[in-house]
Amino acid sequence: MVNSNSEVGVAVVTGAASGIGAEVSDRLSRTGYRVAGLDLRESDTDFPLTADVSDHQAVHEAVDRVTEELGPVSLLVTVAGYYEMIPVQEITLEAWRRMLGVHLGGTYNACAAVLPGMLEAGGGTIVTVSSELALGGGSEDAHYAAAKGAIIGFTKSLAVEVADRRIRVNCVAPGPTDTPLLEPTSPWRDQGFLETLPLRRLVRPNEVAEAVLFLVEEGTFFCGQILSPNAGAVI
Amino acid sequence: MVTGAGQGIGRATALRLAAEGATVAVNGREPAGKIDEVVEACGGVPAIADVSDPVAVEGMIAAVEGSAGPIGVLVANAAYMSMGPFLEQNPDDWWRQIETNLSGTFYLIRSVLPQMRRLGGGRIVIVSSEWGVTGWPNATAYAASKAGLISLGKTLGRELAPEGIITNVIAPGVTDTPQLEQDARDADVSMNEIKARYAAEIPAGRIGNPEEIAATVAFLAAGKSAALVGQVLQPNGGSTRSWA
Repeated sequence: MVNSNSEVGVAVVTGAASGIGAEVSDRLSRTGYRVAGLDLRESDTDFPLTADVSDHQAVHEAVDRVTEELGPVSLLVTVAGYYEMIPVQEITLEAWRRMLGVHLGGTYNACAAVLPGMLEAGGGTIVTVSSELALGGGSEDAHYAAAKGAIIGFTKSLAVEVADRRIRVNCVAPGPTDTPLLEPTSPWRDQGFLETLPLRRLVRPNEVAEAVLFLVEEGTFFCGQILSPNAGAVI
Repeated sequence: MVTGAGQGIGRATALRLAAEGATVAVNGREPAGKIDEVVEACGGVPAIADVSDPVAVEGMIAAVEGSAGPIGVLVANAAYMSMGPFLEQNPDDWWRQIETNLSGTFYLIRSVLPQMRRLGGGRIVIVSSEWGVTGWPNATAYAASKAGLISLGKTLGRELAPEGIITNVIAPGVTDTPQLEQDARDADVSMNEIKARYAAEIPAGRIGNPEEIAATVAFLAAGKSAALVGQVLQPNGGSTRSWA
């Protein structure tokens, strides 16, 4: 097993400042990765960088800095995202574009930035983050589910494109998770909703991080797969 | 409790769970040297029964509790496969596959559940197959039985999760196990040739190894994966579609 005192590689985690991203960063650090956290605000990681993941140029520059400072990136986890519920007829063009720009665009930007280095190194691992809402849909979630669903198509295609060059690409699609992304008044925190979940509770952030870690460390024959720790919300 | 643990994925799973500290009940259809070898390597206990025999399964599960304590993790892995063109498959072969792969898993879970309930929770990992997801020519009964296991796992995921018994399914792709010997015989080629043929169809460019599937079982058997309920995990090197 991995010795937590020895460096096992350099990881870039987007959305590392809070919630699932912070949990993933922490878990990877404890495994021995040197973690560069990309977020709108500074993250508690080895090499925090501030950038908007929807900004193609900014993401490339950030990854270049990581490579210069820490070395080649062997792992990318794309967590950056946000959540809002809007009835479909009230989704503005701006809200639609922002949602797709951050989730799908952010995932694409980060993957495009790390891939040349991984191809040169002859291997790497990428874990994208989608959502259970991309699998099951949800009322007032049209733009979020569309963006997260697109990440699944992107992930599967990228996975088969680079699999023969020893780059493994997979996706984690969490269910409703107990993070700041879910506001205290969110319907996903409502007891009546929780009672409908087979597990009867929200997903814990560390459970999402453990799914990511499994795909990184041990899921070596997974390629283009979607792991959904979702408390049974979508089966 | 790992069924079909004398070889391949079952054997690798028994060794992996033992390495993580579990006392492993090593199941095989009948007493055999390879079962003894796994029991020895695991420091576990033998558990002999044909899983398609509900009475034998009931007796085996009770005996395991007597010798090793209540079962907290069930890995339903035992399987039988017979390939051939659909209309050339005889009904006996059809039923043997359905009874071993699908009904056998039902008998196992039914017998194990009271023990898990006494423990206040448990983990059920059902080993299905990629062919249960995609279907496969000349494997109608096998694929049907494995697809049945997926629905069984999804349903039990829903039904049992409220009481802390978590069920998930693994649908491995082509894996380097003795079962490939049969595929090689069917295709009348060498083992190396059949492996190369399968590998050529897999985006990852290789077939899986039993230890990779065992690692997936170990993840689903551990507390950290509790939020996965009724899911179908597919370690298959990316081969869920056919390539023109």
